[in-house]
Amino acid sequence: MITALRWLVFGVAAFAMNFPILVTLATSFKSARELSTNPGLWVNAPTLENYSAVFTVSDRLNIFLYLFNSIVVALLGTGLAVALALPAAYSIARGKVGERMLLPFIVNLRAVPLIIFAIPLYMMFQWLGLLDTRLGLGLILTIVNLPLALVILVNAIRDLPGEIDEAALMDGAGRKQILISVIAPVCRPAIVTSLIFGFITAWNEFLFGLMLTTSKAVPITVGASFFFAASGGGVQWGVASAVMVVGALPPVLLGLIMYRQISGSMTAGAVKG
Amino acid sequence: MTTLTQRAPFSEFKQLATPLVLFLLVFLGFPAIVNLVYSVSDVTFENLRHPQVSGFANFASVWNDASFWQASWFSLRFGLLTALLECALGLFLAIFLSPLIERRSWLMAILMLPLMVAPALVGLMYRLVLHEFVGPVPYYLWTWFGASFSFLGPASAFWTLIVVETLQWTPFALLLFYMAYQAIPKEIVEASAMDGARYRHRLWYIELPLMAPTIVVALLIRFIDGFRVFDNVYVLTGSGPGGSTASLSIYIYEAFFKQGAIGKAVAASVILFVVSFAVLYGLNYLANRRKGAIR
Amino acid sequence: MIFAKMRKGGLLAVAIASLLAGPAFAKVTVLGWPGGPEETALRAAADAYNAKADVSAENKVELLFFNRDGFWDKLQADLAAGSKAFDANLLATYSIGRYAPFMEPVELSEEAKDVYGDSVLTTMQYEGKQYGVPTDLSLHFMYYRKDLIDALLKDDAAKAKFAEISEKHLGKKLEPKNPDEWTWDDYAATALYFTQAVNPDSPTRYGTVLQLKNLLFNMMVFQSLPRAYGGNWMDADGKITVSSDAYRKGLETYKLLYDAGATPRDSLSYEFAEANAAYASGQVAAMVQWNAAASDLTSKEKSPAVAETTATMAPPGGPEGRFTHIHGLGFGLNKNAENKEGAKAFIKWLSSKEAALIYAKNSGAPALTAEVVKEVAAERPDLVQLGEFASKYGYVMNGGTSAKALSVYELQAKEFTGYWSGQQSLDDTLKNTEKGMAELLK
Repeated sequence: MITALRWLVFGVAAFAMNFPILVTLATSFKSARELSTNPGLWVNAPTLENYSAVFTVSDRLNIFLYLFNSIVVALLGTGLAVALALPAAYSIARGKVGERMLLPFIVNLRAVPLIIFAIPLYMMFQWLGLLDTRLGLGLILTIVNLPLALVILVNAIRDLPGEIDEAALMDGAGRKQILISVIAPVCRPAIVTSLIFGFITAWNEFLFGLMLTTSKAVPITVGASFFFAASGGGVQWGVASAVMVVGALPPVLLGLIMYRQISGSMTAGAVKG
Repeated sequence: MTTLTQRAPFSEFKQLATPLVLFLLVFLGFPAIVNLVYSVSDVTFENLRHPQVSGFANFASVWNDASFWQASWFSLRFGLLTALLECALGLFLAIFLSPLIERRSWLMAILMLPLMVAPALVGLMYRLVLHEFVGPVPYYLWTWFGASFSFLGPASAFWTLIVVETLQWTPFALLLFYMAYQAIPKEIVEASAMDGARYRHRLWYIELPLMAPTIVVALLIRFIDGFRVFDNVYVLTGSGPGGSTASLSIYIYEAFFKQGAIGKAVAASVILFVVSFAVLYGLNYLANRRKGAIR
Repeated sequence: MIFAKMRKGGLLAVAIASLLAGPAFAKVTVLGWPGGPEETALRAAADAYNAKADVSAENKVELLFFNRDGFWDKLQADLAAGSKAFDANLLATYSIGRYAPFMEPVELSEEAKDVYGDSVLTTMQYEGKQYGVPTDLSLHFMYYRKDLIDALLKDDAAKAKFAEISEKHLGKKLEPKNPDEWTWDDYAATALYFTQAVNPDSPTRYGTVLQLKNLLFNMMVFQSLPRAYGGNWMDADGKITVSSDAYRKGLETYKLLYDAGATPRDSLSYEFAEANAAYASGQVAAMVQWNAAASDLTSKEKSPAVAETTATMAPPGGPEGRFTHIHGLGFGLNKNAENKEGAKAFIKWLSSKEAALIYAKNSGAPALTAEVVKEVAAERPDLVQLGEFASKYGYVMNGGTSAKALSVYELQAKEFTGYWSGQQSLDDTLKNTEKGMAELLK
């Protein structure tokens, strides 16, 4: 009885939360003709014409380049953020270094709309030759990702019993060694979590992609909007939906695949805990 | 334990934090200085490189701008309501569905899907979903009930946006809470069950207190994200009729680009920066004091 | 990962190669308006230019496109920061004043005057100087369902109903007219008549669809209504005149239609795309919309429900005449251009008759003089209408090309939508708008 109720709740929650995605998916398989007569969820005559439109127009609308750019900048922005945050998180959690200044400062970065840094960063990037480069965008995404990575990692390290460090210190290990060979492996679930959240955040970032790239380093979120014409041309809802599906697919797939890994290491962590 | 941690050489910790600090100095320190200069300058796109220092006129114009206060109120309400709704819903789902998810982890994957999609895209998707002539929601409302409801009109836009944000980000709270719930040591739960504690008691006196730190973190993160919301609101309603759905982020963005009022935008950012820092430092201070008291 | 590395390596090699090659590969980079017919036309023009024998390799044109969302914002940031990413870039009438400090005046070909005519060339002028070639002109059409209007005109019972509705809502008895003779009152009465909330027998759910999102482009669509009643931003002395009976009339008419349910309830979040979708569903009788929608709304493939019954006309008139807001899109010269000479040559060519015809034949929308448009009239009948309406009814508000023009539209968008959504009174709306505009246009 209660199990049936749980399934019902699950079904309703899953349907409601994924509703816009389902609608977009359905719309992406409708022809322009069907779209204007059938707004429902059911597709009467499924067609791939929207997808072929997305993937063939590649003179300027090179969706493969956008996807490649997104992968590179998201990996860069995530990897660098975790690489910078992990040692800092360790110092904060264990050494109380920067607990009063650095941590709240970085956490507060999340509360500030980063748009305010856009113009100075733009000028700076121009001097450094970083405009419209994947490296430049990756660096900005690092800033975007730092706060959450730091919070997750600090919390994870704080949750670890101090005895772990103690034992290693007794053996004469330095802090750097402890971090690499003791803390990092134990924190793997947290690191993976922050990598995944970071990757998704980076992939989905829009504003800086818009501001700092023009052609060579355009990420998919910005590239996808090339396919719409929000004010002036005509919006083809079917093609727009197909692009949204394609743009959303990689992080969705990654999240699904990586999820097994998190839940696996999570259970391991729970048993040890 | 504390003695050992304190005995460790301080400089070694500092070394570990250095790369992060350097990175921040370069990529945020410089822009921050530029911003501070701009906030007390008479600056336009024309004299971007040579702003005229003019005192605190920018701050005065922000302070006297009714739209600024309207946007602050919107952000505050939006952040609080979405954080509470997401965490309440997430907590319920995490605990109620955990017997299902424990055995089939792919269920969680389905629930997590919305997290993976860019908020800007989700906003665009809702433009499709809610459109009276191409969207399914108004279509079914019309065919089944003959009703034509305004989702983004002045009376309902705020609540529609709340629902949009909540549906997308409840999975975030759900995931955090599920992780925390699973991390509760089985022995404790089993021991209390053996003591004959009822399920409700166990939940209220053992499990929830153990999850409390996670709940606080989730509330804080969701509040912050709700407070500075931009992408989905911007895409769906923009700043709304009469600026009624402008969050602070949208206010700053529009002042910056659309009105070309750089000084005003930067001054508003500085105010926001200082206030949010004060609040968060305050929270941090309180949290530390409480910890001290418990000790 | 290996693939990524290889790609990276390849790209690096290309980057180094192009660095070594240096200026020999310098091109003329032109930033265009993405996604619409303007892009198709520019591509065709650039191909024709590049194929010319007298265009040397280093002066070939390469195109660049941002996306439309935030286009002007990004362009502004780029220009202000002294970007060298493009040599020539898109300009619009309402943004010339804003971008002029970062651009250089250009010299057009000798034919330009005969091809475009003086009034169209002014859409690309600021403080008496020519800043660009006016390649596309945007104005508004009244799109209406010819089948419905024709039926109404023939039906006596419907005429009585029409008179009853107009008397009840507009305070005067009106009779149905042909859209070519419409005043804004006739339009409003027709919109009300075709609204099921007002007239349960109406064949369409809504009489019209208004674009009321707080967005500057929507204000351009609105502007022609007050203009027909003599409205203007400011008088010859620079005094702001927005707090006038004309604007009062315009704002009230929109509000009346919105409150009566003659436009979808969610119109306050509608812009171009939503309005088109509403009209294309067949549930709307008439709407004022950009000329750019014409090809979609009359395409049997894209709008099967309305394509064959849709006709276009100039927007309605008022006591001061009939008007349509016009603005031009065009191309000008970036002050920090790297290949300035090359860019100048391209812009000059773009203003020639040869280029204008190529542009027109490839779905661009240049406003050509009657003389020149004849040559493409067979292929592009809509351009004849465009040119005719532009010269007969086109106008630009006083101050409409100033540095703060965009900000004025922005301000109006906020204040006017505040009134339509019932958040502030008409008096406050006009007072706030006047105060804000006085500050912006001083």
